[in-house]
Amino acid sequence: MLSERIQQIHTEFESDISKVSDLKELENIRIKYLSRNGLISSLFDELKNVAKEDKPVVGKSLNELRNHSTNQFNVLKEKLESTSSADGEKIDLTLPGVTKVLGSKHILTQTLDEIKIIFKGLGFSVFDGPELESDYNNFEALNFQPDHPARDMQDTFFISKDFLLRTHTSPVQIRVMNSHQPPVRAIMPGRVYRNEAVSSRSYCMFHQVEGLYVDTDVTFAELKGTLVSFARQFYGEDLNYRFRPSFFPFTEPSAEMDITCYLCHGKGCKVCKQTGWLEILGCGMVDPNVFGFVNYDAEKYTGYAFGMGIERTAMLKYGITDIRVFFENDLRFLKQF
Amino acid sequence: MKISLNWLKEYVDLQNISNEEIISKLNMSGLEVEDVVNQNEIYKDFIVAFVKEKKKHPNADKLSLCTVDTGKEELQVICGAPNVDAGQKVVFAPIGTLIPKGNFRITKAKIRGTESCGMICAEDELELSDDHGGIMILENELKQGTPITEALHLNDVILEIAITPNRPDALSHIGVARDLAALFSLKFKTPEIKLPSSHKKIKDSASVEIEDEINCPRYSAKVLTGIKVKESPAWLKEKLKNAGLRPINNIVDVTNYVMYETGQPLHAFDLDRLSKNKIIVKSTKEETFFRTLDSKERKLPAGTLMICDGEKQVAIAGIMGGENSEINSSTKNILIESAYFNTSSIRKTSKILSLTTDASYRFERGIDPNGTLYSAERAAQLIFEISGGDILEGAIDVYPERIIEKVVELRLNRLKKLLGYEIPEQKVKSILKYLGFEIAKENSGSLVCKVPTFRPDVEREVDLIEEIARINGYENIPTISKINITLGEKFDELEFADRIRNAATSLGFFEMINNPLQGEKSASVVGNKIRVLNPQSADMMYLRTSLIPGALSVVAKNNNVGEKDLALFEIGNIFNQKNLNSAINSFDDFIEKQTVIFLVSGKSSLKKWNSDEKNFDFYYLKGLVDSFIMNISLDNVLNDSYYHNAESIYDISFCKSYENTVLGSGGKVKKEVLKQFDIHQDVFCFEFDVELLKKIPVKEKHFVEPLKYPKIVRDFAFVFDKNISYEEVSAFIKKSGSELLKSVDLFDLFESEALGGNKKSMAFTLEYFSESRTLTEEEVEKEFLNLISSVTKNFNAKLRGN
Ligand SMILES: [Zn+2]
Repeated sequence: MLSERIQQIHTEFESDISKVSDLKELENIRIKYLSRNGLISSLFDELKNVAKEDKPVVGKSLNELRNHSTNQFNVLKEKLESTSSADGEKIDLTLPGVTKVLGSKHILTQTLDEIKIIFKGLGFSVFDGPELESDYNNFEALNFQPDHPARDMQDTFFISKDFLLRTHTSPVQIRVMNSHQPPVRAIMPGRVYRNEAVSSRSYCMFHQVEGLYVDTDVTFAELKGTLVSFARQFYGEDLNYRFRPSFFPFTEPSAEMDITCYLCHGKGCKVCKQTGWLEILGCGMVDPNVFGFVNYDAEKYTGYAFGMGIERTAMLKYGITDIRVFFENDLRFLKQF
Repeated sequence: MKISLNWLKEYVDLQNISNEEIISKLNMSGLEVEDVVNQNEIYKDFIVAFVKEKKKHPNADKLSLCTVDTGKEELQVICGAPNVDAGQKVVFAPIGTLIPKGNFRITKAKIRGTESCGMICAEDELELSDDHGGIMILENELKQGTPITEALHLNDVILEIAITPNRPDALSHIGVARDLAALFSLKFKTPEIKLPSSHKKIKDSASVEIEDEINCPRYSAKVLTGIKVKESPAWLKEKLKNAGLRPINNIVDVTNYVMYETGQPLHAFDLDRLSKNKIIVKSTKEETFFRTLDSKERKLPAGTLMICDGEKQVAIAGIMGGENSEINSSTKNILIESAYFNTSSIRKTSKILSLTTDASYRFERGIDPNGTLYSAERAAQLIFEISGGDILEGAIDVYPERIIEKVVELRLNRLKKLLGYEIPEQKVKSILKYLGFEIAKENSGSLVCKVPTFRPDVEREVDLIEEIARINGYENIPTISKINITLGEKFDELEFADRIRNAATSLGFFEMINNPLQGEKSASVVGNKIRVLNPQSADMMYLRTSLIPGALSVVAKNNNVGEKDLALFEIGNIFNQKNLNSAINSFDDFIEKQTVIFLVSGKSSLKKWNSDEKNFDFYYLKGLVDSFIMNISLDNVLNDSYYHNAESIYDISFCKSYENTVLGSGGKVKKEVLKQFDIHQDVFCFEFDVELLKKIPVKEKHFVEPLKYPKIVRDFAFVFDKNISYEEVSAFIKKSGSELLKSVDLFDLFESEALGGNKKSMAFTLEYFSESRTLTEEEVEKEFLNLISSVTKNFNAKLRGN
């Protein structure tokens, strides 16, 4: 009989405590069940009437009930106390927390960082070079012959007859090769300038990452392998790629690398001009004339070079359609990344 | 360049190859197809229609109400063209047709209350030309209902190909066809020349003399007499239009046609307008003026290569002919010029005159010096065919020194070494032959090639390797999946800048990137600005001398869009000329260096439900700069100093220095400077010289055992004279305390009337401890009392009641 009572009081307790929502109600529970005159105490009083042989079993379950309900009570008490002020009033936990402003790097820096991490992982060093360059480093030593229409490919801001704002990061190749002997494996990020009318698609200044690897057995096949590895790490594993012949005075053979347009997955859309392909970089094998300018033995060494625009890369990746937004530094833009 | 697929098919048999394959192969061989216009697709819905009746629109004077017979039905169509009339055959766009110009679809429309079921088209609407003078009126024989793709032969595919500057040979249909023949291993043929004989000899009617052989190595010419200048036949006009050219007359059209066929620019002179029937090619000795056939008077500098007749200048060589010798409707006899000019001479003149023509574009890239005569004869043949006349016997061909083919040896192992895979020798030879390279000799392992003169870009072995790689397809070069990494020293010259960025962002700053090209106002705020010789606009005429003006512009821009609370940084290069009066001739004439700017303005924290708002102020900036320095591990190394310089852009400022070198400075920007930038809130900024910062040796870090013994802390507050600085007091306390006094911290500062007008109260917390033992209250108390009395004495300060 007592064991049935125990069971019944257990059920009652569970039901009562589940309805408690404040400390006052909880106190009522304590009085009803756990106080000296409470229901559980009264059950202990009845224990003496139980048959001797049943005592250990019933006693055990009674102890269990007491421990269980005391526990339940304590847990809930702690919970209710922590959400109430000293006088028992409820705290509004939904009030906003205190946040710290976290700054952020410019999205172009973040994009460059991603590119840098990949190439550093492939054993590349990182070099820097000046933006106000000599005509020699920017054009002549890169095999742009004077008076050649190839110079028209890059509209130039001139500072004087022999100095200009670099039109690409390629002059850093010349600087690195002049100061290091092969093997040279490096990327050279930086800011470049073009005297082109400012529009949503072109700006008078932008950023590039140049890459260079010169050693005794560098092949076009390795160039392809390295750049495909980069593209897969940067744009995603499942892309297709193609290398198309192109022309740069400082590489021969030269190529442009396209990857599957990841907006339309190659089906053709506005961004890829319905071709299904996106051009991501220019590259090629270092022209022997360039080796001549830096006194490398063009018979002994071969090398590859590549260059990509960071703005273009970021625009593709983040769906930005107007290049000017990068340089307006509107806080509402900066905070998005 | 616009290339017509139908036209290409005259030189290479592309019958069994789809347009898609052709386009893809061109793309994959370096002739990038930028745009494709498939006329069959674009014009598929346009038909020939008959205008049966024309009435005036009831509600609009300038509109006509036409009844149009499409062969199937009669429709009411409203037309605004003045030249529309009953009885005409016209181009008709039925409902649903997509109009190329403007890319819009024809729908059933009500115009001024009357229904219109389609459109009668003008040339510009079909993008056949820019002509919007009126609707196109077609030949009367055409049957209504015929698709215009058939009726007007609009069944071509036009490719817009981007030709890289190294490929002058591909600026012609024959050049592109030659590549296609190589790509598809197809037969390639050029038009055969068969000229009718004449009993008149050319040398009796004209002569050519080259005075400047350097700039004009070859001049070929043909003469035709008794020709008739008239409109070109339809086939010729169609071809030119498809290539993007405007037909003019049969003579000019043929010269243009041959240029687009062979790549050789030609010029036709009216022979009767050439004094003494003579051509002299020479460079000018002094500045002259010349009226080109576009009726523009042009100033030519000395040294311009000119075509002259017996007494006057008649053309700017290789660029544009003159008005004085131009073909006109009464021309009967012509001289066709087909010359080879020095590439850089043409480029120089074209640049000086800012005049680029189809001819100059090709000449400056380099045409085939050995193709001049062929093109002259080709033009003579075509002119004879379409306008009659007499092609005089023989040719004028002044070619003092023949330009011969370069000989280049190709080693097959070098090909493999560079590309990383082997191409069979047979394939290599076949590609070379298709491209016009003659294999003069075969050695074991190498081929000695004669480079055709239409390929001026091929000079070396590596150029041949590119040709082979390109035609064999880059897709056939393996993409290897393994590379060797050299275990040498690695460099990262941008690492320090990265550390700065990380420090700045962790302090809540957002990075900006500003254009280093600035207007005069911004570039003049500090430093010696450097000017761009050919700026794009006045507001991008100078290089920035500091990051401050750019940053201030950003504040103004953001304030304008309601962003008032700003914490920004930028890391970038600034440029200063060393000597304002000398030009930049070497790297010693200017300084380009990297700096970083931190800028705060507005509120540092906004009003929240549990806190008040706070503005950025001078001390906030100071603290940020200190935190930054700590972040890049230069704390305890740099010193603060304070100065006031009337010319500074700051009202109040401070510097950070290392030993005696100032590394950076900043402060509260003067109101008058802010006004220039149209900023109406306080701005605090600090600019560091990154190059200097980078050079400072960072104190090496060593582990210090955490303190094992308790600290004893004491506070005191004194009333000081107002002019005594915090720095003085804290330095004195540190100096006066024993080695047990480990830190001195200002925790309160105030002034009040109760203290007296020129007094202030400063309260400090002092921390005492020892690394080796537990201090007793007594010894600290003794020291603390000593300190109180020395501070009292030294500053004549008054201890505030405890
Ligand atoms: Zn796409």
